[in-house]
Amino acid sequence: MTDPTLMVDLARLDFAWITTMHILYPPLTIGLAVFLFFAELRWLNTRDEGWYRLTRFFERLFVINFGAGVATGVTMEMAFGILFGPFSQAAGPFFGNILGYETITAFMYEAGFIGLMIFGWGKIGPKMHLFATFNVAFSSILSAFWIMVANSWMQTPTGVHLERGLFLVDDWTAAIFNPNFLTAFPHMLVASLEIGLFFVAGVSAWMVYRNRQGPLFLRTLTASLMALVIVAPLQIAIGDSLGRSVARHDPAALAAMEGHWHTYRADGSPNTNWNVVAWPDPDQGTNAFEIGIPHVLSLLEDHRWTSVVPGLDRFAPEDRPPVVIPFYSFRIMVATGFALFFIALWALVLKWRGRFSVAALQQRPWFLRLVILSALLPFIAVWTGWWTREVARQPWLIHGLMRTSEGVSQMSIPAEILWFIGFFLFDLIVWLGTWYFFGKVVRHGPEEGEAPRNDAPGMPLGTLPKPESDAETSPTFIRPTA
Amino acid sequence: MSHIMELTQPYQWFTVIWWLLIGLFVVLYIILDGADLGSGIFSLFHPDSKERGAIMASMAGTWDANETWLVVAGGAIFGTFPLAYGSLFHYLMIPLMVVLWGIILRAVSLEFHHHAHRSRRIWDWGFGIGSLVTSFAAGVCLGAFLQGFPISGSPVPTFNGGVLDFLTPFSLWTGFTAVIAAALAGGVYLRARFERDSTIYAQAMIWTDRMFYLALAAILGTVLWSFLAFPWARARWIGPEWWVFILAGALVLFATWSMRRASHHQQDIRAMLWLGVIVFINFGTMMATLYPWFVPGTLTIFDAANPSNSLAAFSYSMLGFIPVMLAYNFYQAWIFRARLQSLAAYE
Repeated sequence: MTDPTLMVDLARLDFAWITTMHILYPPLTIGLAVFLFFAELRWLNTRDEGWYRLTRFFERLFVINFGAGVATGVTMEMAFGILFGPFSQAAGPFFGNILGYETITAFMYEAGFIGLMIFGWGKIGPKMHLFATFNVAFSSILSAFWIMVANSWMQTPTGVHLERGLFLVDDWTAAIFNPNFLTAFPHMLVASLEIGLFFVAGVSAWMVYRNRQGPLFLRTLTASLMALVIVAPLQIAIGDSLGRSVARHDPAALAAMEGHWHTYRADGSPNTNWNVVAWPDPDQGTNAFEIGIPHVLSLLEDHRWTSVVPGLDRFAPEDRPPVVIPFYSFRIMVATGFALFFIALWALVLKWRGRFSVAALQQRPWFLRLVILSALLPFIAVWTGWWTREVARQPWLIHGLMRTSEGVSQMSIPAEILWFIGFFLFDLIVWLGTWYFFGKVVRHGPEEGEAPRNDAPGMPLGTLPKPESDAETSPTFIRPTA
Repeated sequence: MSHIMELTQPYQWFTVIWWLLIGLFVVLYIILDGADLGSGIFSLFHPDSKERGAIMASMAGTWDANETWLVVAGGAIFGTFPLAYGSLFHYLMIPLMVVLWGIILRAVSLEFHHHAHRSRRIWDWGFGIGSLVTSFAAGVCLGAFLQGFPISGSPVPTFNGGVLDFLTPFSLWTGFTAVIAAALAGGVYLRARFERDSTIYAQAMIWTDRMFYLALAAILGTVLWSFLAFPWARARWIGPEWWVFILAGALVLFATWSMRRASHHQQDIRAMLWLGVIVFINFGTMMATLYPWFVPGTLTIFDAANPSNSLAAFSYSMLGFIPVMLAYNFYQAWIFRARLQSLAAYE
């Protein structure tokens, strides 16, 4: 007899690993695709070969990342049915349809154009190629749209009712544009832009720092950092409204994120402490220790000096999410978001003072070093953001309607462990390989003085044959001799 | 036949249409990715790194889209037959996991091979082994699927068997058959993709000739085994609609003959198309035999279907998209139709 809680926890661990290793790639795919579209547009408008070389260079990085994203993403789709069979069946009428939309309208759409984008140079006209790049960017955004619909609906399941064990859809519009989605999707989309731009900025900074085609990469460094001056603070603002949306629709998740146990203080006034650090003690229903700042919590969630924010003591113990992971990953995410914002601000200050040239930047290497590091920070922000979101949702799989323990497949412990080990190794290999080849491409750099070529470098895709003579008329029976 | 509902309700038509469409997605996956997987199996037996690189380069622009049909089929099953999705995937957990490992290994190898220098040999092998493992495990999945599986519980029936239920002599046999069939498809595809004077072309000619007879034997064996082992198949084949299956058999024989003829005349593209026709008719015959079962003996199409409202919603929004999807896939294949020189893949 398998221990049910261990089974649930192992399924969660399996799925957590699969999703954690998948979310590294799609945001960068989206951000880079959008960047590539603008870079290619720039090249077609200016006919400046520098932009062509930059486009081709970042495209090589894009391809590596895309392949890794597909490999890990296929796994995820199957994992729903395998690890969470009962959930897939019950939520299928809505959730399955949304994933079906995603595969047909976005995933296949992207696959249809990505081959043209990567290997189509010179095979199709420049306008058609730009069109292919646009479609790759657009379809990856569509993909994010559907995936966020499905995930947000699990947080705020509107527009459905439960009938004979299935969630039947009453109102498609309400279910698709559920309350959580309205802020979560922009948050994810802007995160993707931010990750793409910081990745471009980091790679460009590395090139400037190493003095390899500095003037060329100063263009992308400037463009991406100036875009980030707008994107980074925007992301913080959207994040704030998402936090308030969570506070409204899922107070237990918010209380877990903030380590907020007591709705009222001992003297009866509302508890508005915002904990900077804390260590929860779930058995006692309080924090073992905490350092809090009064009034900040109500300011954050309600934008008022004093208001009642429900604490975990309002919920039955079996309905409380775990606290440690959401609490700390949430704080790391916010800190990362602000750090990235300050890097963008620093770039703006340098730009204003006219210090944004290759020579001036190389004299003050600390800025470049920081930007190189900042290429990794958004990944941490995306990870911690998703961990916050998914762990704070517990113990619910579909908020208020289906518990995680009800949605998990009845699997043997060895099978789950086998799964975990297999995908642990695989995803790790994919991850290491991705970074290894990123490094290779970056070290190799863009083709120096590469003129716009007609085929992908090192990969001629053949030439079209002369019209074949119809062999029907003169049969030549070739029998293999071996 | 009380479990067969009358097709009087429009939503039941939707259910049948979606079942046919999912069949179409799966058969497209088999035809398109079968060729890519088969090329990988072919490369295992031809250990020249440059040629392996050329084989990988030949599918550079299309392998991703071909593989995506599997994801589309999975997504469509999730959307339109959620009850089957949850139970079937749970039952096929182990072979599907192996399919995934194969696909990941293959995707990563195709992706990294191009950028690698020192580790290129690893990715050569990864591509071949990934292809072999994927086709074998996918064949096992198909065999296990044809055998059906136990479900129980209400209101929503779930799979209640063991993790190793899928493992039977029949499913191992179908796995083996899938490898042989993919190997044939791979050879036929390579002949259409490489210049007629290249070494790969010459090797692929010998390869297809051998694989053709092996595949013929393996597929006939599968049909015979199904006839003996599955009462639902036997009942359909010698039942009142027996002439449909005789006709299908005749068509397959004609297509097989045409394919061989095209091969002999070195009309490689034509041979590839005829092979696609053969697979298509075979798969269609299997679907016709299955009806009304989604999973034979376990779930009918109507049991497994999404309750009407969302199936209709899915249909109205998706049916228009499918021709578009086929169109840009065709365009992509058309752009990359040129033949390659085997040793020109990497300077």
